[in-house]
Amino acid sequence: MDETMKERIAQLLDYIMKNCLWQFHSRAWDRKEQNANILTKTTQLLCGEKIELETPADRCYCVDAVCLVEAFRKRCPWLTTLGKDEIRELMKSLHERLDYLTITGSLNLELTDQHY
Amino acid sequence: MPYHEFECSKCIPERKKHAVIKGPGEDLTSALPLGYLNTIPGTISERGCAYCGAKHVIGTPMKDVIHLSHGPIGCTYDTWQTKRYISDNDNFQIKYTFATDMKEKHVVFGAEKMLKKVMIESFKAFPKIKRMTVYQTCASALIGDDIAAVAQEVMDELPGVDIFVCNSPGFGGPSQSGGHHKINIAWINQKVGQVEPKITSKYVINYVGEYNIQGDQHIMIDFFNRMGVQVLSTFTGNGSYDDLRAMHKAHLNVLECARSAEYICNELRVRYGIPRLDIDGFGFEPLAMSLRKVGLFFGIEDRAQKIIDEETARWKPELDWYKERLRGKKVCLWPGGSKLWHWAHVIHAEMGVDVVSVYTKFGHQGDMEKGISRCEEGALAIDDPNELEGLEAMETLKPDIIFTGKRPGEVAKKIRVPYLNAHAYHNGPWKGWEGWVRFAKDIYNAIYSPVHKLSLLDITKDEIPTDKGFETQRMLSDANLSEDIRNSATLRQYTGKFDCLKDILNKTYPPFDAPEPAVAG
Repeated sequence: MDETMKERIAQLLDYIMKNCLWQFHSRAWDRKEQNANILTKTTQLLCGEKIELETPADRCYCVDAVCLVEAFRKRCPWLTTLGKDEIRELMKSLHERLDYLTITGSLNLELTDQHY
Repeated sequence: MPYHEFECSKCIPERKKHAVIKGPGEDLTSALPLGYLNTIPGTISERGCAYCGAKHVIGTPMKDVIHLSHGPIGCTYDTWQTKRYISDNDNFQIKYTFATDMKEKHVVFGAEKMLKKVMIESFKAFPKIKRMTVYQTCASALIGDDIAAVAQEVMDELPGVDIFVCNSPGFGGPSQSGGHHKINIAWINQKVGQVEPKITSKYVINYVGEYNIQGDQHIMIDFFNRMGVQVLSTFTGNGSYDDLRAMHKAHLNVLECARSAEYICNELRVRYGIPRLDIDGFGFEPLAMSLRKVGLFFGIEDRAQKIIDEETARWKPELDWYKERLRGKKVCLWPGGSKLWHWAHVIHAEMGVDVVSVYTKFGHQGDMEKGISRCEEGALAIDDPNELEGLEAMETLKPDIIFTGKRPGEVAKKIRVPYLNAHAYHNGPWKGWEGWVRFAKDIYNAIYSPVHKLSLLDITKDEIPTDKGFETQRMLSDANLSEDIRNSATLRQYTGKFDCLKDILNKTYPPFDAPEPAVAG
């Protein structure tokens, strides 16, 4: 990963870490679902693609994705210079990094508790 | 791992893993203290018990209910004088407190008969109240009284009454957080799904994890009403018992304090398919984002935006007046649980203060993850601190103010550090745009009150200056400000009313958009 990409991911991640509560559900499986659904929808919105709104859960993920897109566009004007493939690549790396920080690399011992 | 070892706790080596400093380049995979563990022997914790977490945090804010503790009278201490979860029915739930007042003879011979007698007497004393919650305590749990069976007998004998039983004795978990969990699960298992509510809007939510501290819930309900959103129930501040039995009929759970109420949201998600939307109700930007999210969910984001624009225009000049005077002040943000992350970033961004330490008494590691990710580098994060650690941290960090509970708050006063009550507030509500300005005003008053300068003098030994005349807060706070800011024509101090709730509680709203008719079959 080149330095520009790293820097851009850090910028996006900084916003998520400071502002988004959706990444911190209390169990690993739940965080996995939250991160995947919201970041997938965010990527689709950034790429101008249609997103699924079939279920109440979809609508809820979408709400967080829409707000994330707005925040990203406001804070990161360089996003407009990227093509769709570049956005997808960027968001994939962001997703991996977020999963690492909140799930696979997390020190939170409750994440794997079988009970709520 | 950047653990921080307190000098005073070197004799308790296990404590070392309960404090970290968020250093440069640290993230959550390298800086996270342990949390939600049993308090270590040798350290005097500031925590409450699981009974307290169930009753005094979550159960008792329900307004139209007789809240009865089945245990010694001391268990029911926290009411009017310590709790500030008000209600719009003349604060019935904190004005009156009920206990069976168990004694040694009941421990020896059992207390079920007495419990039944007290339950019936309580209903007779307040004939208009038809709902009751009964809380097990350590004493009644240990002797094995079957509270649910007694409750059923009373319900059979008194038609029309309904009783909820919460088995969360004080020892049922490391802290009050264990009780939060137990009452969440008990409520959904025993009561949700029993009442079919009247749906009056196309847009229906449960507002969860909101305890109406000094009127916070009234403020938020006003916003939701203005958006045309029906708040079916509030879990539990100013909440009604029967509304909370109908939680299954909402379209969305809007979750404020995830620490105390995520469990019921998770269960509502699994059992009834109602999604969970976590929000921040504190601070201009986070609150705006939260209302916008609720609006977006229902496709009425324009209504949210109208409120955001109006409220921001009205209150921003006042918030900024305080921000200019609070900039750079050092804060120890030491609440119980969720406020550590609700406030960590936004008091820095919107009030200009620097958070030098965060702590939580009963939070889990997940709360610390949220708090540490939001606070700035260099902050000292402490899990379940003891009194000496709090003192050492204050002596080292030299905060200008701490936001905490009244027990550690009184400790802070002893070393002349002003404190604001993070649980029950000073001049709340602190939610909403106006509330956030009231919080800033309380911080300003606490930091700049001339009394703190005077209190630093010990009249038994210090020389009392006689050449200093009258000082005002403004003289102290404006001394280093630029002329432009000091004389700004746009910035102004809080101009709201002392009682900002009266008008809101008397407000009327246009009818909501009618709900979609139910489809047959």
